[in-house]
Amino acid sequence: MRNFVFILFFISLAVQAQTKMSVTEAESLKTLVKQQALTTKTISSNFTQYKHLDFLSNDIVSKGKLAFKTPDLVKWEYTDPYNYVIIFKNETLFINDEGKKNQVNMGSNKLFKELNGLIINSIKGDMFDDEAFDITYFKKDKNSQVHFIPKDKKSSKFISEFQITFNEKGDVLEVKMIELSGDFTKIVFNNKELNKPLADAIFTN
Amino acid sequence: MRFLLISLCFLVVSCGSYPKKQNFKADNPATKNIENPYFSDGSLDYVYKASIDVYDRNFSGLLIIKKIAEKEHRVAFTTEMGNKMFDFTFIEDDFKVNFILDELNKKILINILKKDFKVLVTENLIVSNSYSNNEIDVLETSIFNKKHYYFIEDSQLTQVVNTKNGKEKVLFLFLKINNHLASQIEIKHSNIKLTINLKSITQ
Repeated sequence: MRNFVFILFFISLAVQAQTKMSVTEAESLKTLVKQQALTTKTISSNFTQYKHLDFLSNDIVSKGKLAFKTPDLVKWEYTDPYNYVIIFKNETLFINDEGKKNQVNMGSNKLFKELNGLIINSIKGDMFDDEAFDITYFKKDKNSQVHFIPKDKKSSKFISEFQITFNEKGDVLEVKMIELSGDFTKIVFNNKELNKPLADAIFTN
Repeated sequence: MRFLLISLCFLVVSCGSYPKKQNFKADNPATKNIENPYFSDGSLDYVYKASIDVYDRNFSGLLIIKKIAEKEHRVAFTTEMGNKMFDFTFIEDDFKVNFILDELNKKILINILKKDFKVLVTENLIVSNSYSNNEIDVLETSIFNKKHYYFIEDSQLTQVVNTKNGKEKVLFLFLKINNHLASQIEIKHSNIKLTINLKSITQ
């Protein structure tokens, strides 16, 4: 019996750690994040990426820097354990793979365009599109977590769910992209600076 | 008559086994075994930064190999950003596609990848013929009913050659070997323009 009480106690603790938001709470988070996204002209941040594959003993960890400039310039620069740069610019993808440069025109690729849009929106956190996603809001300690489930079957083939964690200011702390299989990619941002001037030259290969 | 002579010559040449053409001499196969240790440690997550040149295009990503059980391996490929491109299972002689992007879901491609990765993950093989010169042992075996030659130098596996009609079809090079880990692996196809370069970032 005492064990049972203990278990119940822990279950209720676990539930408390992540509770569903009320409609008003969800609305105010949405307003906060959208406001934040509107005033964000640039983002510079370090990031750590965790690739989780169920069959591995450990997640594959890579690190680097992210630069974002409105409306649609994004640069992911991996520095550890390899050097790899990928720049999303207009409709082109510029890649520098340890000195090997490559570019891919995304103009004809609808999927890539969608993906780019999703990346930008998830960096800013502004994915509150009820037409495209089933959205649920959670409180997690002081932070908030929002789950976005794509309604479109095509995109859900790649990512079945996005989970974005925000701090109290409505800043994105973490983006988790979960695949149908349950494997996921988690990106954790740290030392994030907003609206630091970024020259366009940063976004050239 | 001249044609007959030419084709006879051709027949003789093409009948010569691959190692003999490379000036290796036959010796006794009974005493030798093939052991490929490079993906044999079940406690390790083998992760390689991969660069693939196919015709005039270049792709890159991460090749991830894990020994799940005795004679069972998972082989997956993701982009640097984590998007999964494919995920295969090898169990004994069985092969299963757990996931593949629609864009890559082509029988020819899957077959090539299956054959190449089978060579990487197969640990023990039966030797059917054996050759050597002074420094190198060349052991003949078969994978998916195709002749493969394993090159052993200083008791280390350094290359595998997959042949067709006595000609080199695919060459596997194991480089910068350290403690049963090949820090670099090159897979070169000679009948199609395809080269796969792997650099270990095993953590």
